[in-house]
Amino acid sequence: MLNDRRPVVSEMNEPSTLNSQLSTIPQFVWRIADVIVGGVFIYAGAIKVLDPIRFANDIENYKILPWTIGVGLAFYLPWLEIFCGLALILRRLYLGGLTILTALISAFLVATIAAKIRGLDITCGCFGHVSQRWNFSAHLALDLLLLAALILLLFRPGRDFRLA
Amino acid sequence: MVKSLLVRQVLILAALGLVPGIGQAIYFRDKVSWRSPVPASEMVTVTQARAWGENAIWVDARPDSEFARDHVPGALPLNEDRWSELLPQFLAAWSQEKKVVVYCSSQSCNASREVARRLRNEAQLKNVFVLEGGWEEWLRTNRRNLKWLNR
Repeated sequence: MLNDRRPVVSEMNEPSTLNSQLSTIPQFVWRIADVIVGGVFIYAGAIKVLDPIRFANDIENYKILPWTIGVGLAFYLPWLEIFCGLALILRRLYLGGLTILTALISAFLVATIAAKIRGLDITCGCFGHVSQRWNFSAHLALDLLLLAALILLLFRPGRDFRLA
Repeated sequence: MVKSLLVRQVLILAALGLVPGIGQAIYFRDKVSWRSPVPASEMVTVTQARAWGENAIWVDARPDSEFARDHVPGALPLNEDRWSELLPQFLAAWSQEKKVVVYCSSQSCNASREVARRLRNEAQLKNVFVLEGGWEEWLRTNRRNLKWLNR
């Protein structure tokens, strides 16, 4: 059930200049961005759902988490990505989906940079076989692009965050 | 207002992801170990593998460019990029009594585990082992042995 008065992002006290600049962007552009970003995460999640053992090995490569936790995450995270991607496309649980995806991509960015600094030979596993041959810069560029898109969507002016 | 909505949405999504995740974990319960990535019985050290001599067949799971630069003498290339192309070449050299030792660049790389897993599952091979420490460990052991010989 929707509330009569929906909370909007402008209530979060973001800088007014940024807000006014973002408000000039047409609504259909935001909608396209929702679908693209949501689609990317659904694709990334689906690839990993098909081979969770490979993803568990990819998590293991980062040498951050114990194997047992990595296996648990390998079963859980891909589905979380898919549901959050769907939340963006279907505009249901939108704020929750955006927040979780922003947290996931931020954590992944930190882990990737930390792995690079430690000199680990990592396969990110984020897009299955497709991303295996990507170098560190390509990974970083895509992750930063996704993070920027998520942050922009999060601070989109006038957005009503519907529950269901 | 926004905060409580956010918390509620995050919790709903987190719970939604949990349901198929648990289902999949149950489905895969016999296919993955929750204790270690590769069982100790499927790992082999450089010294152990070298002791197998002619009974071992070495498989280089690194990309072609790294294999071309240098590799374990007699090793065969078998990476996931050209799996379907390289697998027949490997199988032609393989025989049942031989032990397969798969290696990639270092301890942290994943390719050797994946190639070993595929050799067991897809090619139905037994006696497939992952080299501890990979190519880096091979080089280190070689250097140690050379130093010892030069004394």
